[in-house]
Amino acid sequence: MEANSSRELEARNYLEKHRIMELLTYLASALLFFRPEKPREYLISILERLRIAKVSGVAFPFFMDDSNIAAMFQMLDSSNKGSISFIQYKEALKTLGLCTADEVLKDDGHGITCEKFTREVNKRTQEIWSTF
Amino acid sequence: MTRGPSDGGQQGADALHGDMDATTAPHRIPPEMPQYGEANHVFELMQNMLEQLLIHQPKDPIPFMIDHLQRDNDYVPKIVILGPPASGKTTIAMWLGKHLNSNLLSVESLIAQEYSSLAADARRHYQKFQTLPNTLLVRLVQERLREEDCVRRGWILDGIPETREQALMIQTLGVSPRHVIVLSAPDTVLIERNLGKRIDPQTGEIYHTTFDWPPESEIQNRLIVPAGVSEGETARRLLEYHRDIVRILPSYPKILKVIPADQPCVDVFCQALTYVQTMHRSNAPFTPRVLLCGPMGSGKSLQAALLAQKYGLVNVCCGQLLKEAMADKSKYGEMIRPFFEKEMAVPDNIIMKVLRQRLDQQDCVERGWVLHGFPRDRDQACLMDGLGYKPNRVFFLNVPFDSIIERLTLRRTDPVTGERYHLMYKPPPTMEIQARLLQSPKDSEEQIKLRTDLFYRNSAELEEFYGRAITLNGDQDPYTVFEYIESGIINPLPKKVP
Repeated sequence: MEANSSRELEARNYLEKHRIMELLTYLASALLFFRPEKPREYLISILERLRIAKVSGVAFPFFMDDSNIAAMFQMLDSSNKGSISFIQYKEALKTLGLCTADEVLKDDGHGITCEKFTREVNKRTQEIWSTF
Repeated sequence: MTRGPSDGGQQGADALHGDMDATTAPHRIPPEMPQYGEANHVFELMQNMLEQLLIHQPKDPIPFMIDHLQRDNDYVPKIVILGPPASGKTTIAMWLGKHLNSNLLSVESLIAQEYSSLAADARRHYQKFQTLPNTLLVRLVQERLREEDCVRRGWILDGIPETREQALMIQTLGVSPRHVIVLSAPDTVLIERNLGKRIDPQTGEIYHTTFDWPPESEIQNRLIVPAGVSEGETARRLLEYHRDIVRILPSYPKILKVIPADQPCVDVFCQALTYVQTMHRSNAPFTPRVLLCGPMGSGKSLQAALLAQKYGLVNVCCGQLLKEAMADKSKYGEMIRPFFEKEMAVPDNIIMKVLRQRLDQQDCVERGWVLHGFPRDRDQACLMDGLGYKPNRVFFLNVPFDSIIERLTLRRTDPVTGERYHLMYKPPPTMEIQARLLQSPKDSEEQIKLRTDLFYRNSAELEEFYGRAITLNGDQDPYTVFEYIESGIINPLPKKVP
């Protein structure tokens, strides 16, 4: 029915606009990783920090900082060539939840270096969090 | 074999590369994560939050989510009770409301509200026309449900929605019940029952001349006959009800339960209460870790094999594991062998080591397991629990001693082919084979009695340790038992009895 599908569309747009799925993924990951005794209180504390960060403009402590990103790059680049293949790069972004399956990334044929990887991960994370 | 260090390095790097390649490595998720997720119902928590976000679509999701989490009202009662006139809806609704400490909403109570202008409008309309327009009723419901007490303690709708239009309107406002109960009884019973209906004007409680007569004489004297209970009137309302209910039911496919109302009130209440206290199956990812307990001959191995076959769980039989260790001549196998040879019980910590090795393997962690043959007493259970191997479903199979004897003493093996038979359930095809069958000394009646006694000596403590275990009647055909086990695994565990 027309009415139903427009509400569904509305709902999907809402999810995308506010990046709800990314937020929920982040919250669920945090819960499973840190496994606090009181899950609700923990979630509330994360959300409060997010809210304050947004209001005060302070940078929010992301899940992965630069050393984590570098470590991940090293795992992917096991033969220490200094760069990873384009496929690996795309898969890594997907695993981190930073790009969707059908997003088209440019392949400039040179392989991705560590700095480029770090820059891209930071840029995308920043994009997502700036919504909050 | 001589391998130079550089060789080993290259192979190691290749292995690492293969392992760490983001495109192909299976994710090794530490088992603490799914255990935590199951124990704290993380999936349901997130799902409820997402539902609320989509229904209300707040401009500022973060403060909304904070409020939602603080309210912590995911599991308050949200019940709809429907049924024909004289089915006892209001009585059941009132009893449920008292028992669950929740709020009761009916058309009468909504109209009677003092502080709502909507209710005043409704009263005027009702006085003139004896009915309420759908939109007005639905708005009244919405207004009432937004009040603090309904948000905190839940709500029970008595007789609302009356029609499909109302049901749809309520749904579009984002109000959805978690349990819908429909009472049903034959029309003749209802018409008769209605004739005996009496109401106490002071408390609003409903009594009946035959089934539910108040003991106190002062209440008896107060009772009045409500309007509209004559046969003709009831028949007319029944007609309307049957026409409407048929179109309401499809709106609530998975949460509906029909309870026959043609039985004593307390029985109906009992069934209703049990139903509203069950949680529905959720879509949460669930890796079954099943423990089957029972005396020998209860069917544990058979059920484990069926479970493994249907759900891909790993069948871990403790006895089998130990024998395999010995056959492999592994280091644990050598430790176990002297105990087996002297027919003494293998010490708990050795069994645990062998078991740990198996349960830590990737296939057990990923697919889940069904364990039987261990633990057999409280100490073993504590040991296993302390090391972090906690089953999420425990079943006790009860079989009376005579059935055990029948199942086990009639077992035979054919020494020539190795095929196993049972003289009653799987008899050998020819007399020739039957003549040469042998019985294992383990299956003699004295042996069975000894081992069954041993089991029952320890089983009480085991049942106490695994508080949320499910006890089943194992004395049925295997597929019936299997169905009970399946439903025990698939459905959420019943709430803990305080």
